[in-house]
Amino acid sequence: MTPDSIFQACNTLALAGWIALLAAPFAPRLSDRVAGLIVPLLLSVAYVGIMLAFWSGAEGGFNTLAAVMKLFTKPEIVLAGWIHYLAFDLFVGAWEVRTARREQIPFLLVVPCLVLTFMLGPAGFFAFSAIRAARGLSPVASGPVH
Amino acid sequence: MFTQTASMPDASSPVSAVFRREPVFAGAALFLLVAMVPTTFALLLDSRTFQGINVWIKPLKFQFALSFYLATLAWFAGWLPRGTTTSIWYRSFAEAVVFAIAAEVVWTSGAAALGVGSHYNTAIQGLYPLMGFLAIVLTSASLVYGVLIWRDVHSCLDPVFRFSVAVGLILTFVLTLIAASALSSQASHFIGAHLIDGSVSDAGGFPVMGWSRDGGDLRVAHFFATHAMHVIPLVGVAASRSLSKATGRLVVIAASVAYVTFVVFTFVEALQGRPFMGTGF
Repeated sequence: MTPDSIFQACNTLALAGWIALLAAPFAPRLSDRVAGLIVPLLLSVAYVGIMLAFWSGAEGGFNTLAAVMKLFTKPEIVLAGWIHYLAFDLFVGAWEVRTARREQIPFLLVVPCLVLTFMLGPAGFFAFSAIRAARGLSPVASGPVH
Repeated sequence: MFTQTASMPDASSPVSAVFRREPVFAGAALFLLVAMVPTTFALLLDSRTFQGINVWIKPLKFQFALSFYLATLAWFAGWLPRGTTTSIWYRSFAEAVVFAIAAEVVWTSGAAALGVGSHYNTAIQGLYPLMGFLAIVLTSASLVYGVLIWRDVHSCLDPVFRFSVAVGLILTFVLTLIAASALSSQASHFIGAHLIDGSVSDAGGFPVMGWSRDGGDLRVAHFFATHAMHVIPLVGVAASRSLSKATGRLVVIAASVAYVTFVVFTFVEALQGRPFMGTGF
């Protein structure tokens, strides 16, 4: 198992999770389970394994930008960092879908947030929060369910 | 939404039984089992070795062995005197035991992550003795269980079986303490020249267990000492089902004497620098 093969496997896995999220209106329970639990957990296993195996061999640290850049000169640590993105972005995406379902936000509004979360992580979270805030301000949206 | 995933198996399963009897030990046992998943992944990725074998083999053995120990205790907790598991002293003791086990696992896994030794590592002053103390704390659970089950005259357990459980648990504590203190007073678990390229090596050991095949290895005695709590109650199950009370008790005593003799034999064998069961395995 090389860092490259793990990278490919994790990317494929995460992509499967995002596809499951897009299918949430048709199979909500399956989607929640796959994207909100199973795939993030598998990615977490990979992350923890990599960190256990390679963390002690890395140089650098968290305190300064230079230290973090030095940390990310080791392929295995960059791989772990990438899996960190994959796992947490997908987890946030799954949370957005669940929250939208509970708050009756139309799925069409969630899709752009999912795309942003997939590509740019925090930007998607920001967009989704903005949509929730906007709907919270709207008396129509916050009125009783008809 | 995730309630179904987190729900317990049906009430009659052994898993739900241990969770009902001793939720803290059962939960810790399950946690250690789950922790083996990323640790196994680390084993597959990591090429570093310690004394000739992959650094992650030892943490995996510790996680599995301690999980099995906790699961057994959780099962036996159902035979403690009524009210024991809810008493304040017991709950504090159980938490201390789980803490000690967590510390041992963090210690062995952390040392593997750093690629250094855990046992026999004296680089940090006082750490190895501290881990020895915590090892006594975790092993003492078998003594406490054994004594409580021994003294519980109101138990609804079959008397021969109860006797075997108590004896097995107490033997686990006594024999493990002896074997482990002998281990820690040596410079290594090996006795006799077990050197590859001039250094101590675990390579080429017994299948799964990893014991030395060309010299004495004190871990053999430690292993069998610790499993008295499994072996003697198994004898007790058979004896309580097929024999009268007096005969059954005698059989349990005879089996215990034989088992202690066997553990002493493996201990002396290792001290004399001979491998377990010769070199035929």
